[in-house]
Amino acid sequence: MARVRGEHPLLRVLTTAGPAYWVAVAALATVVLAAGYAYITRQLAFGLGVTGLNTQVTWGLYIVNFVYFIGLSAGGIIVAALAHAAGVRRLEPVGRIAELGAISCLVLATIFITLDLGRPERLWHLLIYGRPGSPLTWDVIVIILYLLTALALGYFSARRDVVKLMALLPHRKRLYRWLALGRLDLSDAAVHRDQGILRALAVVSIPMAVALHSVTAWILGLLKAQPGWHSALIAPLFVASAVASGLALVILSTVVARALLRVPVAEEVIYSLGRVLALVLPVLGYFLFAELLTVTYARETAPAAIFYDIMQGRLAPLFWFDLVLGIVVPLGILWFPGLPARWVIRLPSPALRPAAAAAAVVLLLGALWMTVRAPQAAVELPAAALRAWAMAAAVIAALALLPSLMPTRTAAIGVAAGLVVMGVFAERTLIVVPSQFHRLLPFPSGAYTPTPTEWLITAGVYALGGLSFLTLAKILPIVPLEADDGPAEAHGPKS
Amino acid sequence: MPRWGMVIDLDKCTACQACVAACRAENNVPFAGPEEAERGRAIFWMELLTHLDGDYPNVRAQFVPRPCMHCDEPPCVQVCPVGATYKREDGLVIQDYDRCIGCRYCMVACPYGARHFNWLAPRWPTPMARALNPDTGPRRPRTGGRQGPEVRFRGVVEKCTFCIHRLEQARRRVEAEGRQLRDGDYVTACTQTCPAKAIAFGDLDDPTSEVHRLAHSRRAIRLLEELGTRPRVYYLTGG
Repeated sequence: MARVRGEHPLLRVLTTAGPAYWVAVAALATVVLAAGYAYITRQLAFGLGVTGLNTQVTWGLYIVNFVYFIGLSAGGIIVAALAHAAGVRRLEPVGRIAELGAISCLVLATIFITLDLGRPERLWHLLIYGRPGSPLTWDVIVIILYLLTALALGYFSARRDVVKLMALLPHRKRLYRWLALGRLDLSDAAVHRDQGILRALAVVSIPMAVALHSVTAWILGLLKAQPGWHSALIAPLFVASAVASGLALVILSTVVARALLRVPVAEEVIYSLGRVLALVLPVLGYFLFAELLTVTYARETAPAAIFYDIMQGRLAPLFWFDLVLGIVVPLGILWFPGLPARWVIRLPSPALRPAAAAAAVVLLLGALWMTVRAPQAAVELPAAALRAWAMAAAVIAALALLPSLMPTRTAAIGVAAGLVVMGVFAERTLIVVPSQFHRLLPFPSGAYTPTPTEWLITAGVYALGGLSFLTLAKILPIVPLEADDGPAEAHGPKS
Repeated sequence: MPRWGMVIDLDKCTACQACVAACRAENNVPFAGPEEAERGRAIFWMELLTHLDGDYPNVRAQFVPRPCMHCDEPPCVQVCPVGATYKREDGLVIQDYDRCIGCRYCMVACPYGARHFNWLAPRWPTPMARALNPDTGPRRPRTGGRQGPEVRFRGVVEKCTFCIHRLEQARRRVEAEGRQLRDGDYVTACTQTCPAKAIAFGDLDDPTSEVHRLAHSRRAIRLLEELGTRPRVYYLTGG
């Protein structure tokens, strides 16, 4: 333990905070306060009328974010399952980030669903009047179970660190004693028992995660009145999106924490996570393709109108952003290390980097522009084929430029993960919103633009998430302390 | 117990919207005002759907008055997480404003767009505010939740009730007469108002009733019947 006490970087992170930290805290707190003010003086005072929602598009930004954060919470379970249940011990260093992320995402999702209620003070009705037939009731149940599991996972994997910190940081002894729930036994037997419980929890959490993401999908997918949602594929699609975005969030936070807080996570850990992400993304792409093909080939009136809006109409920029920047480009980045060097455009000098970055951005935007601008009747073969080829060429050229833009492979994986996290947000929007534009009966097509109030409140919830991360990072070591005085399980290729 | 239902003859309907106005006055349906209506937030328990077929000058316009269908398999009741919307013993689909949490799940689940949300506190222009219907209708059994024409508040969903307050008055009347409810004991405000007599209302199960006869006519259809919602509102298509 003496080695830990000395100049352990993790302890420095816990006890010291530079000006950058406080600037970040102040900025986030400002956004939270502004959003809270807007919520109280606008939405609570006047009702949901201060949003852009309306009779036809009655679920908007708040529900998109609810679905999105439920999905993002998957990361914690995947890493826990891999590390504790499948025995991939080298992933344990990112376990803490993953678990804290999962808990925070679930809390933020709960906040978003409460924001969407017309009578938030009646939230408790869900608990006492809960009807077993409603998918929303199922979701309440799985969210609670999943949150408890995530908290238990976090507790049993952090208990040893927390007890150690009681000795290392005596001025916070009471806080850590409380966090350890009074169980201070660090004997081999006790630690071993924790490990056993962790393993069991990790195994249980896998079906629970599948249930959580499926039930969230079924809130939408079981409705026959909504042709854009009513699909048997929606649950598997949600599971795949959740795994992709959750994993991407873990990677992104690890890469950022490594760069900013200098926490010791081996590069090899990030490479492993990147490889898993590279396997999940094609599955997600495949589900999307299967759904799109079914709908566009069958051309039923209402679904066709919805998917026209998605692929060529008013939401097309989001769709092509998701497809190109959320799936294709990250896949390219993640797969590039395995590609022959001659496929990569090498820059003659690092000074050309900004130019190359600009070129890549222009190529990708050009590809997006070509699709969005596609006139709806442009089925004449030469023009359509030419455009498809031009798009593909632009994307490939941009991809070939990317490797030389990324300073390190870790940074490249971080960028890919960031793109996936943003792409899945676009995907969630495309699932929730456009289906409501078109009804089965001849209603005029709907429209929805979030109001500034709605955006501000949403930003406030994001800021609250960031603020709680910054706070937690000062309480718990963001990666587990070294197991140098632990029992025989000496492991972890940490430097 | 009568199975209350409605038949709307689209050949007789002149699209005058008297039913819409009568419903609004009878049930204290709030005025959204031009700005809110522009945002797609007008509240209509009875709404006139317009369908234009073809291009000018060969246009065929169809008008369909749409109350709540009071489905026998209501998707809204199925999804409500708190049982705020429920099917009464006599089959009417009713909204309990004191139970509703305002999640609007029923609104996305209803294929007919029959449900509306109070985005803001309900408002009426000055003269109308003095002419609100004072009849509050029956409270929900056991819980006492408000569900009649009594003025609603922001943050809850509301919808057509087949004028349950009128049904309640009829129930009290026939109870005093010492008999059971039957066809013709009450009609909804839209039925009473329709100048073209396009709306018939009554007991679908009574073989002698007008609605029974019309609902069994060859012209009778129900909206989106293929969804299996089994609506209690029938339409007689244009001949």
